Amino acid sequence: MMDEFHVTLSPRLSAVRSLSRMVEEFGDANRLPHPKIYMINLALDELITNSVTYGFDGVANPRIEVTVRIEGDALVLTTVDNGRRFDPTEAKEPDVDAPVDRRPIGGLGLHIIKTFADRVAYEFENGRNRLTLEHDLSSSGSGERRRSDEEHR
Amino acid sequence: MNIEVAEERTDDALVLLPVGRLDSSNARAFESIVMERIGGGERRLIVDFSRLDFISSAGMRVLLIAAKALKTADGSLVLCAMKNHIQEVFRISGFDRIIPITETREASANNSA
Repeated sequence: MMDEFHVTLSPRLSAVRSLSRMVEEFGDANRLPHPKIYMINLALDELITNSVTYGFDGVANPRIEVTVRIEGDALVLTTVDNGRRFDPTEAKEPDVDAPVDRRPIGGLGLHIIKTFADRVAYEFENGRNRLTLEHDLSSSGSGERRRSDEEHR
Repeated sequence: MNIEVAEERTDDALVLLPVGRLDSSNARAFESIVMERIGGGERRLIVDFSRLDFISSAGMRVLLIAAKALKTADGSLVLCAMKNHIQEVFRISGFDRIIPITETREASANNSA
């Protein structure tokens, strides 16, 4: 059993699939709950898609480092990239109450992953974006999630 | 990247069953299939999630585009048989308030009629 995995990749959409298999293997080896693994893979899909689409214009040797580790009672995902400076915690929230004909198409991915995480931290240092998403393993998820689990009972 | 989408038909609706993962790498392929069916005259669409394990916002975007197109055309889109963790993502995105989600396909058929 290993309580951390780390991979450095060049940002391509095709990287998401192989990364997702690695996260699943890590989750199985550590007996992590399936919904937590889902959230990590969802976050990686959203973050890497964003980076590939917007983040690396004119950047030589673009790189994203991904680390997933178990730290005490939390599952921690960290991404570090050398792309354009972008703070997801400052990103504009989409209007999730708008009716269908006025519902914006974009902006949803970050909203989802920030809502599910128990803690989100961003810093820009040495020209690199570092984003950390923490999920508590003892809870079933964020406050949002707990409320919904109660509804399901 | 492609996506496998099974297709079945109820009395008056076309049922699409995407298989496996619907993410940024194959959302465009799924969008082509869905919009071709709407362009071909389908007005009642049911997307059955029973064989889908993973969806990201790129996949949800396709459902929103389909919902908008069908609303304009006086049609309907209903989703069914979602796994709990996927349903949760739809809920925090507010999608459950703009696209009907039912437990079973039978309930979807009633909902789309």
